[in-house]
Amino acid sequence: MDMKPRSLLSLRATPPAINIAAGVSILRTIRKEIARKLAAGALAAIALAPLLLALAPIDARALPVFARQTGQNCVACHAGGQFPELTPYGRMFKLTGYTIGERTLPLSMMGVITATKQKVNDPALGKTQDGSLVFNTGSVFLAGKITDNVGGFAQITYNNYDSQDPNTGAWAGHSGSDNLDLRYADHLIDANRDLVYGFTLHNNPGMQDVFNSAPAWGYAVVPGSTGVGAGMTPQLDGGLGQQVAGIGAYAYWNKMVYAELTGYRTGNGLFSFMTQGNGGQNYYKGTNPYARLALTKEWGPHNIMVGMTHLDVHQYLDPTDFTLGTSHYRDNAIDAQYQYLLDPYTVTAMATRIHETIASDDPATVAPGTVNSLRAKASFTYQAKYGASVSYFNLTNTLGQESKGWTPEVFWTPVQYIRLGLQYTMFNKNDNMIDPRDPSGATILDAKGSNTLFFYIWGAY
Amino acid sequence: MKTATITVVLALAAVAAGCTTSPERSRNLADPNVTGKTLAQQVCSNCHGIDGNSVSPNFPKLAEQPDEYIVDQLTRFRNHRRADPEGFEYMWGISRHLTDDQIKGLAAYFSTQKSRPLAPGNPKQIAEGRTIFDTGLPAQGVPPCSTCHGDHGQGNGQFPRVAYQHSDYVIKQLTVFQRTDQRPDGVAMKAITHSLSDKNMEAVAAYLQQMPSK
Repeated sequence: MDMKPRSLLSLRATPPAINIAAGVSILRTIRKEIARKLAAGALAAIALAPLLLALAPIDARALPVFARQTGQNCVACHAGGQFPELTPYGRMFKLTGYTIGERTLPLSMMGVITATKQKVNDPALGKTQDGSLVFNTGSVFLAGKITDNVGGFAQITYNNYDSQDPNTGAWAGHSGSDNLDLRYADHLIDANRDLVYGFTLHNNPGMQDVFNSAPAWGYAVVPGSTGVGAGMTPQLDGGLGQQVAGIGAYAYWNKMVYAELTGYRTGNGLFSFMTQGNGGQNYYKGTNPYARLALTKEWGPHNIMVGMTHLDVHQYLDPTDFTLGTSHYRDNAIDAQYQYLLDPYTVTAMATRIHETIASDDPATVAPGTVNSLRAKASFTYQAKYGASVSYFNLTNTLGQESKGWTPEVFWTPVQYIRLGLQYTMFNKNDNMIDPRDPSGATILDAKGSNTLFFYIWGAY
Repeated sequence: MKTATITVVLALAAVAAGCTTSPERSRNLADPNVTGKTLAQQVCSNCHGIDGNSVSPNFPKLAEQPDEYIVDQLTRFRNHRRADPEGFEYMWGISRHLTDDQIKGLAAYFSTQKSRPLAPGNPKQIAEGRTIFDTGLPAQGVPPCSTCHGDHGQGNGQFPRVAYQHSDYVIKQLTVFQRTDQRPDGVAMKAITHSLSDKNMEAVAAYLQQMPSK
């Protein structure tokens, strides 16, 4: 059940929509039709879920698609059966190309209903901040084993609150490609050797990683989560999500050393299926390298990982005029994760520190400087039903938009495909937010004014 | 564009290569042509260890388990006749299409591995556990474990090897036998464990995990 709901970060990383010619409006209409159908499908799935649950025999509880493929319960691959934290076995399932088990219907669906209440909410943002219960996102997954060595997953997500009409204030929904990971993998193992190696084609740096301290999986993963407020996140934290095509090679030796090298290029042309529906396309110069090294150790019910990541990206300042040059982002990250897995308890704790330097051919378009991100999270589950987590974020930079805060969460999973959760994000710092109560727009909102209560019902089948 | 074309060709070549995988390294649980040994190495080893010495106490050690016991348990998982939570959560699905030959192959593989002792626990607990294992608790009507599981906990036929087993796993299964009917194969164990206290279980599990030589 390796499913990554589209995070707020990846939504925020989506570039603003570009004005398009009138002739393209026909395509928009078609897209909206598809989006409406997707939304209707996701809503129907949520409405029917209790009925399906009631009808499901006990051994068919292990759904969606990966669980059907292995026949196992979600707890086999996810700590306490909760997304997204992977167990050591879940990590091996992913590294071996999602190929353990047998081919099955490669389809799953996911829907999320949310209510978000910001302490000082902006009335202009309507139901996204005023505590109303809304259908937030719906996803369709094509996933699973293709051959003995090839497998993957592709997610298409409909975001019901994608954009807002500047005149009427009405929200519009929109569908787009979400995370995608296609792999070829082999496992050379006997009494004397243990080597997993493989190749991956994916569209979001870090989503191919099997550790939860990778930003793509670690923090604010429930769709609609409050995220980090105004703070600037580095490129490694979702900045290239659904904008690029990455092809990489990896190896995991003796369950001790994981190494990966991936190159990212603009997700256009042949690769545009990996980036469709995410607004304007960013353009990147050449192949942009990503290197990852991690050391792992398991003992008894414990396992630990310490790792480092490097990402080097040249992004064209103007996607329509490459002569204007590029902005150059160099990200260096260290991360660590610890897990304790012994029925009926699980604990997963992780931290990620990213330092980014930005250089620019045109400082007026993209300012040079540095960005520092520290994020950490600890989660606990009991009996694969009850859980709590707390996460911390601290984003600083030399450019003047910073945030810092905590998000505690409690959740309940009555059955393995439904989860209810409640989060509260407390901001200690959230720079330069405008107080919506002042019509002149001249008053800066106190950080605590951004504190947000977030409730969600997540369902998948 | 040239780079993109080369990339796609390479990707398609990789997929094509995947179609011609070696059956010696298949992870396909629905292919009767894949041997039990291959499944043991490619699938089972992820939790139970390549040599049957699992790292996590969530998963039992299978090294040196009697051949007959492994065949019996896998058949029970496949037929849904063992319903302890970890049994059906992990094993029902994964064993659902195993053939009898594959099950025999899996049993042959793990039964011939070498079991290794685990870290020693509390000496007082170990001493108490040794007494229960060797002589039972006559006052509570608990017979010695060694009667069925062997003097050295090596197992015998359908009686599992318990020597060097993870203490957490032993406690979990003793609790299943004592308090549930999820393992009907263990009806004898239900009677035997009836009067064991939590402390007794912890003691015997601590002894088995390391099993010092006598």
